[in-house]
Parts: sequence; structure tokens; C-alpha cells
Amino acid sequence: MSKVMTMQEAISSHVKSGDTLFIGGMQHGEPFAAVHEIVRQKIDRLTLVSCLTFSTNMLIAEGRTERVLTGYYGQDINRSYWLSRARSMDKYPVFQEYSHFGIAQALLAGQMGISFIPVHSMVGSDMLKYNPCIKLIDDPFTGGKIGAVEAIVPDVGILHAQRCDENGNAQRWGTLGVDAEGINASRTVIITTEEIVDSDVIRRDPNRTIIPGYRVAAVVEAPWGAHPVHLAGCYSGDWPGWLGEISSEDGYARFMEKYVYGVKNWDEFMELRKEEKGEDYFKRLRIKQIPSDPIYSGTEEKGI
Amino acid sequence: MSQEDSVIEYTANDQMVVSASKLIRDNEAAYVGVGLPMFAALLAKRTHAPNCTIVIENGIMRVEGFELPGGTDTVGTQFYADKLAGLSYISFLGQAGYINLGFIGAGQIDRHGNVNDTVIGDYYNPVHRFPGSGGANDVMSFCDRTCVMLNQTKRRFPERVDFITCPGYFDGKPGRREESGIRQGTGPVAVVSDMGCYEFENGEMVLTSVHTGCGITLDKIKEETGWELKISPELKESTPPTAEELAILREIAAPLLARRRLTDFERK
Repeated sequence: MSKVMTMQEAISSHVKSGDTLFIGGMQHGEPFAAVHEIVRQKIDRLTLVSCLTFSTNMLIAEGRTERVLTGYYGQDINRSYWLSRARSMDKYPVFQEYSHFGIAQALLAGQMGISFIPVHSMVGSDMLKYNPCIKLIDDPFTGGKIGAVEAIVPDVGILHAQRCDENGNAQRWGTLGVDAEGINASRTVIITTEEIVDSDVIRRDPNRTIIPGYRVAAVVEAPWGAHPVHLAGCYSGDWPGWLGEISSEDGYARFMEKYVYGVKNWDEFMELRKEEKGEDYFKRLRIKQIPSDPIYSGTEEKGI
Repeated sequence: MSQEDSVIEYTANDQMVVSASKLIRDNEAAYVGVGLPMFAALLAKRTHAPNCTIVIENGIMRVEGFELPGGTDTVGTQFYADKLAGLSYISFLGQAGYINLGFIGAGQIDRHGNVNDTVIGDYYNPVHRFPGSGGANDVMSFCDRTCVMLNQTKRRFPERVDFITCPGYFDGKPGRREESGIRQGTGPVAVVSDMGCYEFENGEMVLTSVHTGCGITLDKIKEETGWELKISPELKESTPPTAEELAILREIAAPLLARRRLTDFERK
């Protein structure tokens, strides 16, 4: 069954105000195109779960975020225009703090369908005093102490994949950050992808599939959908340039007005960016692709 | 020391990178973050530890060197890796005891090696906010040996941190890490600042060398330390970078410097 739809449809039919949202891509292949659409649709009161994502800054600065479950976020308000903007609207989010591994394990517990996972990090730290989702418990087997991190089950997970078939079988490679745990823990899954491919392509290399199609609600083709972050095998990133552009009051206002609210979709965004940055900018970001040796799948020629 | 060597010019950053790189042993796995730790690992790879495996939090394990990046995860740090996985896989290696050495930056560090990457002052009404643990707590909880790298000021070296993001040795009493549920045989073993190098003895930081070649004196270090600092009886001058090491450092840094300013590893 084809789950292919436009980004507008995918976001409006699956992401609701008040949702807990997992945003994939830990500094790699982040679903920027999808986040632009969430901002455009003014979906608010969100709880965000992510690890080192850039696009989520827009959801915080727009005042649409109530809570951030995170291991790392620049919370010095004197250095963050986004946070000061949120505060000026009285929309400063609550930061619930873990270590990176803590977030990863909370999502893994969600994926596994269990209420918590034991961990040997975060214990002994003061994070336990302020985050009720991390506890110190007795290890039932060693007699010692061990940490316990409560499962996170996001309402919606969004991941950008290099390729995906129309059924939602998504293949992602390069570093995976917390992608596999996060997307598999999420109740509703949206896959955005560089390229919708024939199922035959997926089925000849099925180990690469990060989530099976039946778990996926929507598939959206979005070439350059992770830009300005890099995507393995596809393109390099320019997040320092992007950060420079949207970190100031004027730059932020200009970017949001022109490139997020001022366009209908990601295609229009890319056209405008090409106009402003020059065709050459995106050509330079394309990487020189190097193929792997093929691995083989196959079938028995005759019975034994 | 020949006369030529004595006139080599280098910065405190060079000294930090060279001192830190010496902690990396050949054939070991070293968990590094962006900035000076990655610089140190690449130097070690070009000098005494060509077979060390560099481990990067996003899910990268690699023996082959790479161009010094502006972030932990780039096309360049991924390309030609030995294994790409996710953050959990990397951390599982550490939690199970298979990562020998880790490097972290720090907002503050105290007398007993406790690191604060979270908040100065009250949690809800802070004097200063750092960005939080990131992977730092995991690194210092999991790796056999952890080296903390930071610039030294009295404010960043308090006697006791307001918030323990990464436990060191707590109050220095033995067994405190294990009681807290942290794996045995882990913890900070070294601090490399822009003024000197430290080790730990009975859960307390001990000054072992002074970056005299950068114009640092023992008095200056004492001034920038928030407690009465223990000094090793074998206190030395930090071994300065050799001409060869500096040449390699310049070569490693060149492509990134050409593109942009070195990303600051510090948690400011």
C-alpha cells in the first residue's frame, strides 16, 4: 500500500499540537524539510526528544515547545537569541536533562516495550535530583546499585532516510546517532527521503532497512531534505553557515519570513536558496560518491 | 636540548594537545570529542599510536586518520570508518568495559575531579548555564581512564562544583563511585589545562607538570586554583612540543583553519 504523500499532508494528518515528537538525525541527516513544515503549520505545545539537532531551535524560538528532553542544549539565554525570543513570548521550555546515553536508552526502552532500562551512567550525578525519569535502584542480581531510566514513547517520530519505498521500508546509513531507537520507539512514524525507490532495491539489501514499512504511516520524497546538515553518501553540510544566518534577531526574522513562512513547501525553499546562494553552492555540497562492493542476496537454484 | 629546539614557538593549545596525545596508547580505543581531544588523537595516530581506534559519539569507530573536522559528525569523520553504528552501540562498548580512554571538555572541575557541565548557582535560578552533559557523563562513567581538558581559571577550578554532571571521586573517600552504581575501574586519571597537567592520587587532583614553556609559573597556577592545591613531589616542567610534533599539528590543522576558525571545544 502506498503511503506516499506531500509533506503538508503528512504533517497535518499525523502531527498534533501537544504531541511528543522524536526528531531523528544526531548531527547527521536531520529532517529539516519536515521541521519547516511543522513550523509553517504552527503546531504547538510540543515536547521534543532529540540529540544534537539544529532544526529544533526553530520550534523553540517560535514558542511552540513546552518541554525538551535532551542531553545537551545551549541554555545560556545571554548567548541564545532563540531562547530569549521564547522567553519574551513567555514560552520558555522546560529542559529535562539526561546524558546522551540516557536519552538513547530511554528511547531503546520505548522501542523494546519495557518501562525502563538499567544504566551505569548518570548515576551519582545531580541530574537525578532534577529529572524524575532517572532513578537509582538496587540491582537484583549483583546486590549493588544501578541506574534506571524511564522509557520514552514519542507520539510521532520523524526520520530522513537516503531511500525508502512507497510502503515505508526506509533505508538509512552512515552514523545512526539515536535514529534506530527513536524511530522504532515512536507510535506514528513519518519517513522523509531523498528518493523513493522501487521495493526491489530495498529487498535486495534488506539489512539496511531501519524500520519495516508496516510501522510507517507516511512517506514523503524530499530531496536535500536534511540540508543544511550533511547526509552520508549524498551531500555535505553547511550548518555553520545556517547558524550564522539565523542566530541573530534580524537574521532569524529574515530567514523565517522568507524561507519558512514565505514558501509553500521545500521545493520552493530550495529554489529560493539556489537563487540566493547560487547554483554552485549546492553543486559544491554534493559529495564525490564512492560505491561499496556489492553484497549478495540470492535464492536456491534447485532443491537439495 | 639544541639551540634550535629552544626557540620553537608554540601556544598553550599546542602544549595541551601534545600533553593529551601522550595519554593515548597504541592499539587502544580512545573516545574523543570535537576540538582539542580529536586533535590529540590525530597527533597520536601520526606519532606513537598509529593503531589506536578513534571512537566518536555519533557512532563512528575508525583506525584510519581523517581531516580535522569542525564537528564530531561530518562526511569526513564518517568516510572510511571501520564501523558506523549509533550512539548506543558506542556507549555499550564503554559500559561493558571496552573503551580504554576517554577525553572530555568541562565547564568546571573541582578538587576531586567532579565535573560541572550544567549550572553555576541554583539549578532553577542560575548564575550561569552550561549546555549539559552531552556524552561527557557517559564517557567519564564508562571509560577505564578519562582525561579532562579545559582552560584554567579560578572560576573553573572551584574547590567543590555546584552541580555534579560527571562524577569524579565525589569527596575523595574510597569506593564512592562504586557505591553510586558506576562501574569499577573507571574515573578521571588526568586533567590537562592550559597551565599544567594533573593526575589523581587518593581521589584528589595533584599537579604533576607546569607549562613553563608557555610562560606559566607554579604561583600562577595556585592563583587560578580554588583550593590549596596538592603538588607532586616529582613536579616537572611539561615536556614541550617537539619540532616534529608541531609540524604535524600545523599540517593537521591547516585544512580546517583554511575553512573556518577552530571550533572551540570549551563549554562556555
